[in-house]
Amino acid sequence: MSEQSKDVCDPSFAAEASNSEVHSSPGVPGGPSLPASQAAIFPGPESPPVGPPDAPLASPAPQAPCEEGDPKALQQAAEEGRAHQAPSAAQPGPAPPAPAQLVQKAHELMWYVLVKDQKRMIIWFPDMVKDVIGSYKKWCRSILRRTSLILARVFGLHLRLTSLYTMEFSLVKALEPEELDRVALSNRMPMTGLLLMILSLIYVKGRGARESAVWNVLRILGLRPWKKHSTFGDVRKLITEEFVQQNYLKYQRVPHVEPPEYEFFWGSRASREITKMQIMEFLARVFKKDPQAWPSRYREALEEARALREANPTAHCPRNSVSED
Amino acid sequence: MQGSTRRMGIMTDVHRRFLQLLMTHGVLEEWDVQRLQKHCYKVHDRNATVEKLEDFINNINSVLESLYIEIKKGVTEDDGRPIYALVNLATTSISKMASDFAENELDLFRKALELIIDSETGFASSTNILNLVDQLKGKKMRKKEAEHVLQKFVQNKWLIEKEGEFTLHGRAILEMEQYIRETYPDAVKVCTICHSLLIQGQSCETCGIRMHLPCVAKYFQSNSEPRCPHCNDYWPHEIPEVFDPKKEREAGISKSNKRSLRSRQH
Repeated sequence: MSEQSKDVCDPSFAAEASNSEVHSSPGVPGGPSLPASQAAIFPGPESPPVGPPDAPLASPAPQAPCEEGDPKALQQAAEEGRAHQAPSAAQPGPAPPAPAQLVQKAHELMWYVLVKDQKRMIIWFPDMVKDVIGSYKKWCRSILRRTSLILARVFGLHLRLTSLYTMEFSLVKALEPEELDRVALSNRMPMTGLLLMILSLIYVKGRGARESAVWNVLRILGLRPWKKHSTFGDVRKLITEEFVQQNYLKYQRVPHVEPPEYEFFWGSRASREITKMQIMEFLARVFKKDPQAWPSRYREALEEARALREANPTAHCPRNSVSED
Repeated sequence: MQGSTRRMGIMTDVHRRFLQLLMTHGVLEEWDVQRLQKHCYKVHDRNATVEKLEDFINNINSVLESLYIEIKKGVTEDDGRPIYALVNLATTSISKMASDFAENELDLFRKALELIIDSETGFASSTNILNLVDQLKGKKMRKKEAEHVLQKFVQNKWLIEKEGEFTLHGRAILEMEQYIRETYPDAVKVCTICHSLLIQGQSCETCGIRMHLPCVAKYFQSNSEPRCPHCNDYWPHEIPEVFDPKKEREAGISKSNKRSLRSRQH
């Protein structure tokens, strides 16, 4: 579903197409001069605004939805003889596609987002444009809006821009916070078990877990770095690359240690999706002990749970922080 | 402009959570789906009676219809287990996979798919698939890498491997049946009983009609003299047992038990 388009709205694509009319010089005002009126892109009250990235990026960098007040886009648009202005004004220009086509695009985008989320892949705005929206880029706002609405009404999920800088979206549950629903299906997700094992180890240690420590634990499960496993495949690749890519773990070199050693930390996504209490419950189940067998960690988990409850009395998605870095 | 609001009234948080979780798990067996449904009721609507699964799903599907997606029920070809998945009815591409795999990986899958569909048994040997590695679109792939990719397909439940041969996972059939029928209209095989796409099954040696193993099981259940429904000749294959979820749970057989009755066709 890859639809490339040379729509001049998007300087990055236009730059690739070496359109001579494009202002693709790096010195362009890409600063955070986004007018406040651009803020309400999504009709949902909780969604943050979408707009050009804050930092002035060099020309090949992907840009946010085209029809915004981005000065660069405006200049190109004027040159092209199309009048792109603030979204409120109706414009002459190429005829908008039939509503049915926009609706279909919204459905395609909905499915795209659902599948990306299912695979725990990052939902990246430029990918959305390239793979799904394609030549309908001019109407991407209304497509996005419709998609968000459908996702909220049918799936109870919020399509949320989690990072303006990296232009990442994520699907966030809008329903009440609950325990990882895996308890409904008792451990049908082996990957989660493996991940939770590592996250628990890091949590209990209270700091990063050295790779050697992690393998000691995994050995109990019969997993070795050099052996392929029937379910997990290449375990080392899974935990040092895939989980890291999905932002569930961080894998970093330990400073000042020779020969080089590496350690694991919680990734930003793990911090967002998994609570300390869930870790305590996991530990309790695995070791058949009371969670209070780890008293200081249990206290931490209690505090976190209390903080979460206080922050979200209406029980709408507890974690809406912008992802780090 | 909000065309899909017609039947939104019946979507409650019970249904939403159910959809979320079904999507998360990709494909689920019927028993898991029932537990999932009960879980969703427990979380959101403790006091309501749990609706019959079939009606529950039909209700949700009526809402999903305008979005061109559907909760589809299928049956595993080898041992007749009912499975459910949320599928996209648009057939523009191998939709669910497209965002997952690189171009050459997708092409490898397509090649394997073609071999499977063309084969007599519904299985394609690893060797035959790997021999096509040079013809793949996109970045060049070595055979070693291709083996890995095939394993990835197995882990993601697109393919099943048995003794070095590959066939389609029930999930792949569920999700791609429409795509397959439209792309390979001449090569596809169809079951005489249920008229769905057939990859693995048994065939009549006289007239050539084919039936899924679970369809054979149901059709010839407690029939001491099984005969071909088309030409009435004696049915020459072993008749498998009808899948009984209760019996299976009692026996404590795990999901990965390879108790399949794959019947070769010659």
